[in-house]
Amino acid sequence: MPIVLVVVLVMACAIWSSVAHADAPVGIEVYPPQIRLDSARDRQRVLVQATFADGRTEHVAAPALRPSDPKFFAVDNGVLRPLADGAASLVVEHAGHLREIPVTVVSASSEPPLSFRLDVMPVFARAGCNMGSCHGAARGKDGFRLSLFGFDPAGDYHRITREFPGRRIDPGAPPESLLLQKATGAVPHTGGKRLEPTSDLAATLVRWIAAGAPDDPGPVARLVGLDLHPPTALIVGGDVRQPFVAVARFADGTDRDVTDLCWYGSNNDPTAKVSPEGFVTTGSRGEAFIMARYDTITVGSPVVVIPKDLAFSYPTESGGTWVDEFVDRKLRSLRIAPSPVCDDETFLRRVTLDLTGLVPTPGERSAFLADPRPDRRAHVVEELLGRKEFVELWVMKWAEILQIRTVTNEVSPKAVLLYHQWLDRRIAANEPVDRMVRDLISASGGTFTNPPTNYFQQERDTLKLAENVAQAFLGMRIQCAQCHNHPFDRWTMDDYYGFAAFFKQIARKRGDDPREFIVYDSGSGDVKHPVTGQVVQPKFLGGDAPKVTDRDRREALAAWITSPDNPYFARHVANVAWTHFFGRGIVHEPDDARVSNPPSNGPLLAELGRRFAASGWDFRRLVRDIVLSRTYQRSCETNATNRLDDVNFSHAAVRRIRAEVLLDVLAEVTDTKNKFPGLPLGARAVQVADGRTTNYFLTTFGRATRDDVCSCAVRMDPSLSQALHLLNGDAANDRIRQGGLVARQVDGGTPDSEIIDGLFVRCYGRMPTERERIETLAGVIGAPDRKAALEDVFWALLNSPEFIFNH
Amino acid sequence: MARSRLPCRGPFAGSRREFLQVGCLGGLGLSLGSLFRLQAARADTKTFQHFAGTARSVIHVWLPGGWAQQETFDPKPLAPLEYRGELGSIETNLPGVRFSEHLPKTARIADRITVIRSMTHGEAAHERGTHNMFTGYRPSPALTYPSFGSVVAHELGPRESLPPYVCLPNLPAPDAGAGYLGSAYGPFTLGSDPADPAFTVRDLALPGGVDPQRFAARQRLRDVVGRHFQRLEDTANLEAMDEFYARAYDLVSSERARAAFDIKAEPDTVRDEYGRHEAGQRMLLARRLVESGVRLVTLSYGGWDMHQKIREGITKTLPPFDQAYAALIRDLERRGLLDTTLVMVSSEFGRTPKINPDAGRDHWPKVFSVLLAGGGVKRGLVYGASDAIAAEPADNPLTVEDLATTVYHCLGIVADKELVAPGNRPVEIVDGGRVRNDLLA
Repeated sequence: MPIVLVVVLVMACAIWSSVAHADAPVGIEVYPPQIRLDSARDRQRVLVQATFADGRTEHVAAPALRPSDPKFFAVDNGVLRPLADGAASLVVEHAGHLREIPVTVVSASSEPPLSFRLDVMPVFARAGCNMGSCHGAARGKDGFRLSLFGFDPAGDYHRITREFPGRRIDPGAPPESLLLQKATGAVPHTGGKRLEPTSDLAATLVRWIAAGAPDDPGPVARLVGLDLHPPTALIVGGDVRQPFVAVARFADGTDRDVTDLCWYGSNNDPTAKVSPEGFVTTGSRGEAFIMARYDTITVGSPVVVIPKDLAFSYPTESGGTWVDEFVDRKLRSLRIAPSPVCDDETFLRRVTLDLTGLVPTPGERSAFLADPRPDRRAHVVEELLGRKEFVELWVMKWAEILQIRTVTNEVSPKAVLLYHQWLDRRIAANEPVDRMVRDLISASGGTFTNPPTNYFQQERDTLKLAENVAQAFLGMRIQCAQCHNHPFDRWTMDDYYGFAAFFKQIARKRGDDPREFIVYDSGSGDVKHPVTGQVVQPKFLGGDAPKVTDRDRREALAAWITSPDNPYFARHVANVAWTHFFGRGIVHEPDDARVSNPPSNGPLLAELGRRFAASGWDFRRLVRDIVLSRTYQRSCETNATNRLDDVNFSHAAVRRIRAEVLLDVLAEVTDTKNKFPGLPLGARAVQVADGRTTNYFLTTFGRATRDDVCSCAVRMDPSLSQALHLLNGDAANDRIRQGGLVARQVDGGTPDSEIIDGLFVRCYGRMPTERERIETLAGVIGAPDRKAALEDVFWALLNSPEFIFNH
Repeated sequence: MARSRLPCRGPFAGSRREFLQVGCLGGLGLSLGSLFRLQAARADTKTFQHFAGTARSVIHVWLPGGWAQQETFDPKPLAPLEYRGELGSIETNLPGVRFSEHLPKTARIADRITVIRSMTHGEAAHERGTHNMFTGYRPSPALTYPSFGSVVAHELGPRESLPPYVCLPNLPAPDAGAGYLGSAYGPFTLGSDPADPAFTVRDLALPGGVDPQRFAARQRLRDVVGRHFQRLEDTANLEAMDEFYARAYDLVSSERARAAFDIKAEPDTVRDEYGRHEAGQRMLLARRLVESGVRLVTLSYGGWDMHQKIREGITKTLPPFDQAYAALIRDLERRGLLDTTLVMVSSEFGRTPKINPDAGRDHWPKVFSVLLAGGGVKRGLVYGASDAIAAEPADNPLTVEDLATTVYHCLGIVADKELVAPGNRPVEIVDGGRVRNDLLA
C-alpha cells in the first residue's frame, strides 16, 4: 500500500509540474485590491486569480500570503485578522509573480455591539426568511411576517420583539427563542431547517438576543456599494471550483467581508452553479452571471466556461467596423466562430425589411445585383435611410414607446393625429433624439398646440406615469419597488417614490376646445412614502436630489434623463435600435435593464451609447453603424460552435416579421391595397397613428394596442389563428385573386417557369433553385386549371416561413 | 414535489421532444438559449406533477356585469321587500332550497348541481372583479396573470386536433387571455355567434374554390417551397410556426375536429331543448367542443350589470339561461359526460343587498353565488350561505383562491405549482389557495 501511494503521489507531482511548466500564468490578480480592517471582529478573505496568455483564469487555491509587517495583522488560511492599528501590506507570491496589497487596520481592539440592521437582518435575508414565498409575503406566513427582503427594518424589529411579547425571543434563554427553534428546525417549521444550530449565523442571533435584542440606537452606516470578487472569470473545464468574495462598503468609510451574509445565484446553473457559501462549480460550456445580494444591493460577475482541450480557431475575416471588434472580442473569449457574411440577395431583403418595412421589388433587386461598386451594400443602406418609409417605420416604433392611442374622454382622435404628426416631423428631420425626448418630458400647454403634452394626458396616474417614463426612456422596470425593495435590482422604495415625485405636480384642465386639455405644473402636491408616511423629495434614479423649488420638476428630470452623462438613456435608445435589427437586445428585453439581467456584451452597449450621444444623438448614424457592421450582415446558417448561441450575435437570427410590416408586405407582393380609417386607400399599416385602430390580421399577428408600455406588448409568437388565417382566410387567398398578378401573366402568355421565377423573386427576393423550379412546375403542368395551380404556388410561398420570417 | 420531468409542458405533440422543451418557452418570449437559464431559475421553484383529475374538460359560463345573487340562486323570500326585490322564489327538487321564480327548469335539476352561496372577494370594479374570477389573483400592476383556460392550455396541451382553450363567441374580457404565458396559450376565439343563423367559424373552412384535393396540392407545394429554408430550422420560432401549421392542417383536415364547431349537425330537438338563443346555442356548442376534445371552453352570456330596473333585466335575461343551463346539465348526464365535465357558472361579483332608487342593484363583491356541476363536484349541494339580506357570507366563505385551486384540482393540476413569468419570476398558478374538499364528490 505505501508503495502504491508513493507512486500515485509521484505521478501526481509529475503531472502537476508538467502542466505548470508548460503553461505559466502571465499575471496574478489579488482581491480585494485593498483591505481595511476596522474592528476586533473584522475579518477579510483574500482571493488570488492567475491569468494566462489565452485569456483564461485560474483560482490559486493555496497562494503564499504574508504580512509585510506581522505587527498589524495576521493571515490564517487566506483570511486576514487584525492585531494592531496601523498600515502595512499583504505580500502575495505565486508562480514568480509578486503583488502587494495595502492593508489598513483601525480600531483593532474595539468590539462594537451587534446591530439589528447590519448583523441580524442580513441573517434573515441569507437564510431566506424574508423571501416572498416565506415570511416576506404580504400577509406573512403562518402568522409571522417580515418585510420582503427587509424593506422595513423598524417594522421587522417590532414584529420580532414586540408583536407577541415573550413569544419569538427569550432573552433569558436565547437558544430557546422560537425565532431560533424554528429557524434551526428544532420545532416543526413549514420552511424547514434554514440554519444549522452550530452555524455562525445562528450564533449571531443568539448573541443578539442574549444582549437583550437591542434596536439600533440611531441611524446605522448606509450601505453604498457591494463588490463581488473576482469581477470576471474564464475557466477551462467542468467541475472546477471558483470561490467568490463579497465586500460591502458603507457611507462612513468602513467596509465588511459579507461573503457569509450574501444570497448567491447563477442565471445559468448548467454552466456555473453557485453554492450558498459563494463557491462556483463549473459545468458545461457557456456563460453564467453569478449574482450576490446583500441588503438592497445586487451585483454580479460573468463566468465563462469553455471545454478542456478545445480545438478552436477563429476565422480570419477582412473589413469589419468598430462594432465588430466588440462583438468578435466576446466571441473569441467564448471560443465561438461566427457565421460568414450572408449573400447579396439575403442582405437586400433583410436590410430593406428592417429599414423600410417592405421587401425589395424585383426592380430594386436587379438594380442592386447589377451595381458594380464594391461598397454597394453601403450605397443601398444610404438610399434606404433616405426613404420616407424609413421615417414611417421609426415613427411607428416611437409611437409604440410613447403609447400613442386615443383614450376615451382624455385623448381625442384629433389629439392623436397632432401628436403623431409632431413625432413624424421630428423623426423625418432626424432631430437629435435627446431634444425630442427633452421636449416631450418637459412639455406643458395644450394637447393640440403642444402635442407631446398628450403623453401626460393618456396616463394620469402619477405612479404609473413614473413607471412608464422609467421603462420607455431608461429601459428599467421599477414597478416592483412600488411595494418592496426590488430584490434583483438596486431600486428601493425610496428610489421609486423619489422618482414618482417628479410627476406629482402635473395638473390638467380643459382647453377652449372641449377636446383639448391644458397640461401644466401646479407647483403643489407631494408623494408620500407608504411605509414611513413622510414626504419624499424628487430624486433621480441612482442619482442626486435636484433643487426643484421654483421650476417645473419635469424640466429638471428631462435634463437629467437626456444628459450625455446619464448612463442609461443613450444605451437604452441604442439598445432599442439594436433590438430592431437583431430581434434581440444586448440587454434583453430592451426595457428590462437591471443588475440581474446584464447586457450580453456590456462594452459594446457602452460604446454604442457613448458614440450615439457623442454624435449629437444622430439616430440615422446609429442605424448606419449597426447595419453596416459585419455582425448585422452575418448569415443565419450556423456552425458547430455557434449553433446554440443566440445572445452574442454570432449569426443572424430568424425573426418573424411583425404584424404591420407583414400586412404591408402581403399587400406589396400581391399588388393589393389596404384601407385603414382616416388614411387613404393603399396606406401602409405602419402609418396608422392610433394604437386602437386595428383589424383582424393585425390583432391576430400581435399588434400592440399600446395600452401597456412594455415592449413585450408586441407579440411575435405564433398561434393557431395566425396559421388558419393565412391558410384559409382572406390574407392570402383573396389577395392573390384581387391583385390578379398571376391571372394577368397567364392571360398575357407568360410561360409558367417565368411566372414562377417572378413569384419567388417577389416573395423571397431570390430566384428559385433548380429543384424548386422543377418541383413547382411539376405541380402546374398537367393541372386541370393552370391559373389555379400557379396561384397555389403563390399561396404556398405566402404561407412559407421564408416569406413570413426575416432572415 | 418530485421533479421527474420538465416543469414546463409544452402544448405540442409529444414526438417533438426538443420542441416541447423550447416551444413552451416561446410563449414567454424566451428562446433556446434561455432554456438553461430558465431551468436554472426554476431550481428553487415549486413543481408538481399532474395527476388524473376527475374533470376531463371544463365549460365555464361567464355572466358579464355581475349577476344578482338575490334574483337567481340565493333568493331571500323572508327579507323585507327593499332587500328581497320584487321577484318571487320557487321550490326546487332539494328540500328547503329555493331559487328565483325564473329558474323553473334549473330548479328541477338542483339535485345535480352545487350552488355556492358564499363566494366572496373585495373588488367592486368590473375589470378588477373579472380579473379575480378568471385568474384567481387580484390584479397586479406588475404582472398580467393567465386565465384558467390559458393555464390549462399551458399545463395540459391540446387534444384530438382541437385547440385546448376556446372562447365563444369572443374573448369575454382581456383577463380571459394568456397573461404572462404569451399568446401561444391564448384562447382560440370563434368570432361568430352560434346563435346566429349564419354562424361559421372564421378561417376554419377551406376558402371557396379550394376543395380537399386542391388543399392537399397546396400543402405539397408549401413543402416544396419551404424545404430550402428548412435547413435553418433549429430555431424555436420556426418550429413553433411549423407546429401551429401542423395543428391547423389537422384541424382543417380532420372532419371530426371541424365537425365539433358545426352546430347544425345537432338534431333540431336538441337545439330546441337548449333554446334557440344565445345562451342555448352557445352552451350547446360548448358541449360539442368539450365532447370532441377541447379542454376548456369559456362562453359568455348576457349583460348582468343591472343598475336599473333589475326586475325587467332579470325577467329578460334569466329564462334563456335557465333553459340552456338545465338542458346542458341534462344533456351531459344523458351522454355520460357529466362526471368528467366540470361546468362552472360565474360572474365578476354580485349585487347590493338593497334595491337602489333606480329599482336596480349596484356592485357587491362581498357575497355572491357561483355554480359548479359535474367533473367531480358534489351533486345536490348548497355550499356556504349568505346572511339574511345577502350582504355578507354567513357560512363557509369561499375565496377566489380557493375556488381556483379547487377547479384546478378537479383537472389534476396542483395550483401551488410555480410558472415562470418574464424576468424569470416564479409565480404560483394560484397563490395560497386550498382545495375545498367538502365541495368534491
